[in-house]
Amino acid sequence: MDKTHRLTGFLADKLPKWSLIIGIIALALGFLLGHSNDQSMYLSYLTAYTFFISIVLGCMFLVIVQHLARGGWGVVVRRVPEQMMATIPTFALLFIPILFGMHSLYEWTHASAVAHDHLLQMKAPYLNVPFFVIRNIIYFAVWIGIARYYNRKSLAQDYVASDDEAEQITAGMQKRSAISILLYALTVSFATFDWMMSLKPHWFSTVFGVYYFAGAVMTALCFISLTYMILGRHKHLDTVVTKEHYHDLGKLIYGFVIFWTYIAFSQFFLTWYANIPEFVQWYLPRSVGPWRTMASVLVWGHFLIPLFVFMSRHAKRNLKVHSGIAILLLVMQYLDIQFLIKPNFFTDIHFTLVDVAFLIGIGGIVLNRFLVRLKQESLMPVNDPYLQESLDLEVY
Amino acid sequence: MSTSYGMIAEFDGPGSLFHAAEKIRDAGYVSFDTYTPFPIHGMDRAMGQKASHLPWLSLIGGLLGFTIGLALQTWISLDGYALIFSGKPLFSAPAFVPVTFELTILFTAFFTVFGMFGINKLPAWYHSIFNASRFGSVSSHGFFVSIESADAKYDSKETRAFLKSIGGSHIEEVEE
Repeated sequence: MDKTHRLTGFLADKLPKWSLIIGIIALALGFLLGHSNDQSMYLSYLTAYTFFISIVLGCMFLVIVQHLARGGWGVVVRRVPEQMMATIPTFALLFIPILFGMHSLYEWTHASAVAHDHLLQMKAPYLNVPFFVIRNIIYFAVWIGIARYYNRKSLAQDYVASDDEAEQITAGMQKRSAISILLYALTVSFATFDWMMSLKPHWFSTVFGVYYFAGAVMTALCFISLTYMILGRHKHLDTVVTKEHYHDLGKLIYGFVIFWTYIAFSQFFLTWYANIPEFVQWYLPRSVGPWRTMASVLVWGHFLIPLFVFMSRHAKRNLKVHSGIAILLLVMQYLDIQFLIKPNFFTDIHFTLVDVAFLIGIGGIVLNRFLVRLKQESLMPVNDPYLQESLDLEVY
Repeated sequence: MSTSYGMIAEFDGPGSLFHAAEKIRDAGYVSFDTYTPFPIHGMDRAMGQKASHLPWLSLIGGLLGFTIGLALQTWISLDGYALIFSGKPLFSAPAFVPVTFELTILFTAFFTVFGMFGINKLPAWYHSIFNASRFGSVSSHGFFVSIESADAKYDSKETRAFLKSIGGSHIEEVEE
């Protein structure tokens, strides 16, 4: 039996082409429409950027953690995250506008603001422009290194002649997963501090990186589930990726929904109890007016609805319910990112045409990069030693 | 002879036991059980067992724990021992979350574990199946199936013949 499955048809030909064209036009339109108000435009850009990179970083975590745990069940649903995480160089390029927009985004880049602010002076050894740029170069270097290594090794495994070689490759990937996950944890946490927490430089929360990470992995799982459902509709892997795999993906989604809530509440709870001005300042703009409504929307859509709807085994195995929850959570992740970034600057909900343009722009370009990679190789790792275990998966 | 618990038969391995269970299920027996040294995947389906009710017990336990946790703290804070601290309102939902959460988990765990005991009729100090002469090997290499006399279809002669026809050996009637 030839197990190699190639992406063909609409998903391989027309969609990548059109998503790239539409993406570039939308990105250009975003900069064109937004340039009259730099701060507003760069905030919209940062929001769209951190939303999409969360999917990619979540995918990277799932690939590493499967090797770390020597997991067998997920082999047939590993190629999509492997190809998605390999789009990280595109994100390194897309980061350039943020470097140009630093002055509009980050208060600590203003020499005049720092001069009159003791706290910012104390934080200057960390929060300064050259070190910010260096740190981001390190983050992307680590991520590109991890993504390239795991992507290339896995693709190379498709072409090996003997089982011995295939096992050696998997053993190598497993061996390097421990150091990878350490580097991943540090870089993601600090990147979140730099990109989003330093928008409000007087405030800090040590759990902020974990908060973003929890949402990122949840979003990546929703993305993976939905992608395999779409592939299945186009008759790709529809007999290989079964309800058993969706059930397991669903369990992970459910787990990360609860994990996100746990982290979000932990951060809020300590702040609320201690009630110290330095910490409360972040929550104050988020606890009044439309942002308070947004907080309620997140409590319901990001926690309570999935908690009860997705609790049952039957819901996770029902693809209609499963895809509904996955779409809901993707929307919630975007609202969550809005909630993390925008209240620092706006008292009202701030969702403009520029936000839409950047969402479509970055989304279109990333979709193109992802699909172009996906169609070049097999849709599942055909020589993985754990493949049979994954094909035979049954969830009790 | 005292009353009979049922009929026990031995099989050579997991495969033959699995197919025997399917045949017993298809023959219409309901009160029967399989005994193996290790779990066999899919045996519940081969035996035609319905989904367990245990998740519902867990859910009830969770909701009960949630309610008790919240009610306990609300009563203490508003009435039982009303005390203002940190300048917070007497009813402060965020402050109640940790205890409510813990009691939800605790009650879910209790209902799940003790519910499982109840459904399995544990602890059992005596079980008739151990009266079978060759049953000791079940913890190392024996694969057994028993059809209980409580089953409506049970008939000493017919069941014995049926177990023989599906490949069982050392068939034995077990005393209550």
